Amino acid sequence: MSTATAPAAGEAAAARTPGPRRRRRRSAEAAPQTGVRTRAATAYLLLAPNLALFALFFLLPLGAALVLSLARTTGVGPTEWVGLGNYEQLAGDAVFWRSVVNTAVLVLLTVPASLALGLLLAVLLDKPVRGRAVFRTVFYLPYVLSGVVVAIAGRWIFNENIGVVNRVLEAVGLERVAWQSGAVPAFVSVAVMITWGRLGFCMVVYLAGLQGVPRELHEAASLDGASGWQRFRHVTWPLLRPTTFFLVVMMVIECFQVFDLVYVMTGGGPGNATQFLPTYAYAVGFGARQQGLGAAIGMVMYVLVLAGTVLWWRARKDQEAEA
Amino acid sequence: MALDRRRFLQLSGAAGAGAALAGCGGFSTGGDDGGGGDGGGGGGGALDFVLWGSDAEVAAFQAVADAFEEQEGVQVRLQPTPFGEVLTTIDTGLQSGSPPDLFRITYTDLGVYSGADVLLDVTDDLPEGYADAFVPSLWRAVQGPDGQVLGVPHHTDTSMVLVDTAALEAAGVGPLPTALDQAWTWEQFADACDRLRAALPEDRFPVGVNWQLGGAYRWLGFLHQAGGRLLTDDLSGPAVDSPEGRRALEFTRSFFTNRWVPPSTSAKGTYVDELFPPQTVAMVYAGDFLLPTFEETVQGFEYSGTFLPRDQRAAAELGGNAVVATREGSNTQAASRFLQFLASEEQMQAFCTATTVLPTRTSLTNRDLGYRLRPDLMELYVQQATQIPEDLVAQVTVPQFSAINNALVERLESAFVGGADTSEVLAGLSGDIETALGS
Repeated sequence: MSTATAPAAGEAAAARTPGPRRRRRRSAEAAPQTGVRTRAATAYLLLAPNLALFALFFLLPLGAALVLSLARTTGVGPTEWVGLGNYEQLAGDAVFWRSVVNTAVLVLLTVPASLALGLLLAVLLDKPVRGRAVFRTVFYLPYVLSGVVVAIAGRWIFNENIGVVNRVLEAVGLERVAWQSGAVPAFVSVAVMITWGRLGFCMVVYLAGLQGVPRELHEAASLDGASGWQRFRHVTWPLLRPTTFFLVVMMVIECFQVFDLVYVMTGGGPGNATQFLPTYAYAVGFGARQQGLGAAIGMVMYVLVLAGTVLWWRARKDQEAEA
Repeated sequence: MALDRRRFLQLSGAAGAGAALAGCGGFSTGGDDGGGGDGGGGGGGALDFVLWGSDAEVAAFQAVADAFEEQEGVQVRLQPTPFGEVLTTIDTGLQSGSPPDLFRITYTDLGVYSGADVLLDVTDDLPEGYADAFVPSLWRAVQGPDGQVLGVPHHTDTSMVLVDTAALEAAGVGPLPTALDQAWTWEQFADACDRLRAALPEDRFPVGVNWQLGGAYRWLGFLHQAGGRLLTDDLSGPAVDSPEGRRALEFTRSFFTNRWVPPSTSAKGTYVDELFPPQTVAMVYAGDFLLPTFEETVQGFEYSGTFLPRDQRAAAELGGNAVVATREGSNTQAASRFLQFLASEEQMQAFCTATTVLPTRTSLTNRDLGYRLRPDLMELYVQQATQIPEDLVAQVTVPQFSAINNALVERLESAFVGGADTSEVLAGLSGDIETALGS
């Protein structure tokens, strides 16, 4: 009863409140709301061009890919709607699963390698060494080169018959390596070229991250007797976490976009040793002209990258909360 | 590694494929109109012609276009497009209702478009007996399922065996057959490979075969030489799982087990034409279009050529391209006239000699065309092209051939380097073909 009476009393009291006072309270509440609305409208207005482009060049193609993945079509002529038929076909496709595994292994090999080497280079080139700008340019160059150019370099380097690496190995009395006909060496050659291509990007982003580490913290740590490694381990590395998070996401996404390099270097072979999801999507969608199936692979890639990014983001949030 | 036509096509394919994948789920738009056209094809006047090609080929097409404009008063606007983007450009145009008037197409890709009924039927525009002027198998390649004519066979390519003369002499192989009816049998070819294997060091190989990726269909040459077929007579199902299929697969697999070919040259491996100039292979299966490259890259040794080996019969592969017009083009009458003009004797001869490709008109296959580059070899290539079986052409131009060729890549790869059993490979390929044909 008391709980019912109290609000009633309150309402009665409010009803007895003089009119002008109520109006003042209302206008005091409305003012900030109007301001928020205006600011939101401005924000949306400013965002509108980007949102429009995002919708046009991302959401629309994504929707189209989803629709296409439910169909069987060669790209011309009649389209047959098969529902989830393409996804069912993928579930029973050994080459698709091999591509999934290969892509996962590629992520595990190239992402840590790219980050570790990129960070090493960034730390080295963050110091005032002679020719620093030249070194930075040289290491960044592969990233701005076309993937096809990097791939051609890869073919020259790892061609098992006439390539540079095998010639050098022979010259020093070692056995030739089957870079193209051996499954593991072929995978390694692709991973090496991918890592080399991304090194410069990781280096530049880490360099930017290093600029944001306050020098006072290093000075304080030095005064406390911390060694160089301890300063890196306990000062630099924790402050580079956001940079590392960004790079991990970017590098994983790039593993799901690797195509031109593999297409030119190995064609997915030998067997399916270097078949990755993007190369398989191309082989199916444009080689065999089963474009619905190719789009289904694209959708699977999208979901995998999205899920991976969300999980990684959550893990980072948890880590930060614990810290 | 010079930037030859093969490399140009391969790299532009990679670049174009990358672009295509970047927009996964949709199609890339066509190349720049280049003529400020109205997209659809010139508003009833000019014709838009989508093509790919080396510099020499584009120049040769431009010469034809100029001559046509002078004669007919209709401009033909060339739209050179990277090889890897040609099909997506055409597909985009067809889907958006603004296709090009004309496009260049490989014979093996033609089936997709004839099956989709988007090509202009020019049967009624052709004079009586027009087809008789062409090599029958190549004419068959531009015919639709009901025999309707959907374009012109512009030129063909085919492979022969080019040889490092000194390496063969050193191995005691020779003399080379110089007439079709004296072509090596499979046994003689195997003997030559064995001799070369014994004579060459470990890092050099007797032969390289050009069955990589899109060229996997060249394996069908071995199948037909063995007397087999890929598809049934009515093209409705697989016929490859046969004693002839087994013989062809085991023979070609032995190339790897006997170390006749570099292990890296499987169906997904290295293109063999880049291994001939450094003498990694002593013989190479090579198309006529590679001769300009070899003239630049082969240094320090002489090379000649001979015909493809034969078994139960001789068979060469179908290479080359047709030119077709679209049914929804803006000026179909002019497009039809351009096709005939392009395939006229005078224009075909000029194109073939300028670009070192083979003609499709019988009057030109029996004549010295005046090839400036290796006329001795081109003469043999012209003869070899007469060995393209008509029934093979029918099989590689079915609408589903892209999917079948893709399956062929996978299955040959599993046989050559994956250690898969012959029966398993043939049964798997048959299953893939059934899936592709929907049979």
